[in-house]
Amino acid sequence: MALLTCPICECTFDSEKSPAMPFCSEKCRLIDLGRWLDERYGIPVEREAVAGDEEVSDV
Amino acid sequence: MEVYRDGKIYQQEYERGKPLGPVTVIGTTTKTGTKTTFKPDPLIFPNTKFSYDILQKRLQELAFLNRGVTIKIFDERINEGQEFCYYRGIVEFVEYLNRASEVIHPEVIYFSGSEDGIEFEVAFQYTTELTENLHSYVNNIHTIEGGTHVTGFRSALTRTLNQYGRKNDMFKDIVPTGEDFREGLTVVISLRVANPQFEGQTKTKLGNSEVESVMNTRIGDALADFLEQNPKTARVILRKGVLAAEAREAARKARELVRRKSALGGMGLPGKLRDCISTDRDKCELYLVEGDSAGGSAEGGRLREFQAILPLRGKIINAYKSREDRVLANEEVQSMIYAIRTGVGEEQDISKRRYDKIIIMTDADVDGSHIRTLLLCFFYRQMYRLVEAGHVYVAQPPLYRVRTKDGVYYVQTEEEMKRQLLERGLQESVFDPRDGRLIEGEMLARLCTTLASMEDAITGLERRGISLRDHATRLDPQTNRLPAYHLVIGTEERWFFNRADIDQFLQEQGLGQAVESQAGAQVTSPPEAAAGGAPAEADQQERKTPILTEFHEIRTINAGLRDLAEMGFGIDSLIPQERTGIEEPRYVLKRGQAEKPLEDLRGLLAAVREAGEKGLQVTRFKGLGEMNAEELRETTLDPARRTLMKVTMEDAGAADDMFRILMGDKVEPRREFIEKHALEVRNLDV
Repeated sequence: MALLTCPICECTFDSEKSPAMPFCSEKCRLIDLGRWLDERYGIPVEREAVAGDEEVSDV
Repeated sequence: MEVYRDGKIYQQEYERGKPLGPVTVIGTTTKTGTKTTFKPDPLIFPNTKFSYDILQKRLQELAFLNRGVTIKIFDERINEGQEFCYYRGIVEFVEYLNRASEVIHPEVIYFSGSEDGIEFEVAFQYTTELTENLHSYVNNIHTIEGGTHVTGFRSALTRTLNQYGRKNDMFKDIVPTGEDFREGLTVVISLRVANPQFEGQTKTKLGNSEVESVMNTRIGDALADFLEQNPKTARVILRKGVLAAEAREAARKARELVRRKSALGGMGLPGKLRDCISTDRDKCELYLVEGDSAGGSAEGGRLREFQAILPLRGKIINAYKSREDRVLANEEVQSMIYAIRTGVGEEQDISKRRYDKIIIMTDADVDGSHIRTLLLCFFYRQMYRLVEAGHVYVAQPPLYRVRTKDGVYYVQTEEEMKRQLLERGLQESVFDPRDGRLIEGEMLARLCTTLASMEDAITGLERRGISLRDHATRLDPQTNRLPAYHLVIGTEERWFFNRADIDQFLQEQGLGQAVESQAGAQVTSPPEAAAGGAPAEADQQERKTPILTEFHEIRTINAGLRDLAEMGFGIDSLIPQERTGIEEPRYVLKRGQAEKPLEDLRGLLAAVREAGEKGLQVTRFKGLGEMNAEELRETTLDPARRTLMKVTMEDAGAADDMFRILMGDKVEPRREFIEKHALEVRNLDV
């Protein structure tokens, strides 16, 4: 048994009892799919980080 | 019927609605009350058997509705009975109804009042259930069909929660409907009305129109007050409503996805997919390639028989004010689902997969790692079984092409490239620190390795706004260590070597617990104030709260300093000295006849690497697109020569963890993530 935190509702659930891993329920899995399709999941674009990448490239 | 009053017991019996005789006194008593004995007449009732369960349920209900009243039931047929008495009335009713459910806020919310001869009581609590559990009563009668009291309550609930959510900016994209706010709601409504009008087929629907407006106004006001005073509970309830609304929307989109797919027919494949020829699933591979140009090279370099290419583009969107996010475009998500053909979620069936290997191929830069994180997270969440069964891989395209006089070879990571250059550079190099020593061979290798271990940490520290030169003044000369903890109180700042010192300092100053900042030195308060809190107040508190930042880099630097000390170098050797220009060089690196003057030890590392690059032509690929089709085939596509990393559940789970931090509304952990991200990427590459 492993206790996980659902990415959507943030509840704690037992991974062995979940019908929709890695979510607690099919409903939360569905909400997640909706967010992907809605383009609501993103990773912040940091100008700084891009500049930093070039900085360390001077091998 | 026996009536106990005025010290006497009166009795009268009835049959079929008619008294069998006059009221007679049958004894004396000190008690008061009424005792009714009822025996059903089989000529009128087809079934004269009492159901204990139904009676018990109804009597318990009455005990809930009439707080403090004790109701006993005893079944002489089976010699069993129960007693009900609830001092907290319908609040206990709600708790009883929710006894097997998971509640999302601890307290039952209770409102009561009276107006215009209407007495009302409402108790409710939210659970994780998907349906509403509503029980309404008027004068103890269960109004199964609802009525004006229920309508009034519902519209008050929807209106007030919506107002609160809007005011506190809790609805980003979707505004919940009344139905969404009823999901998981357990509620008991109990009214006492002087002249109830019952309507409906079973006469269990309240019709009094004045009740609706009283309920609507009074419950609305009470709930608004409650939400203001209990922001934590308010947030939980609002969140629940938003998620319910999102689920409703998502279900619609998912249906659309399936419908579109079937409309495209069995062969409905995304236009950008360059499929392979073979249908032998166990041999087929799908490359998910970042960018159209790399997609073009991959298409040219692939083995068409077994390798399919799906170019993907990370799309940049304006997420919130002044923030841009890289997302997977909707079309890309759909294309992947269609191309992979296992479906998602409940209908996921990995036996329907078209390919044995799904290979993620992204650039070895920050953008590429972001897209990879997004993809891994998507697979982990929506195609869990595909990852579990080990069908997802990450390609390992090289980062460098190295030409020597003997030919060409490729290097995968920056670490490896640096290591190779260092190794080559160390040959024949002699370092003269101008203190009478000459450092070469293994000793020089050790020095360079130490410096290399510190390199990223120092760069990282300086990127966070702290220069080594300034920080060196804070060195503890006894331990030769730099302080890693930075405490800011208002405009004051202090550095500490360990947490115990901080605690002691805070205690001495009479200050509370420090707030951990996750970001760099220049912490700016997040623009989005936590929902529900008054921003002005929070600001004032912030000024007094000590903010603590731990600079993890300093651990690495301290470890390096210890090694350097063992080799006879102090922290000043890392910092260029003020020079007049006429003195002898501070340090010198000698290679054969060539001498290279050096300002500080950090320069040594660069000089050795530079020496190592002699005779090599090193090209760093800025992206996959810079490789031509042939190069891509040689290094990344050809099964005989490529290296693939199989994505384990741990890898995917780690990507998901990263992603959660990135997706969070908390600004500081996100910033810290960006700082550390480069490292994570490398870990994945190993």
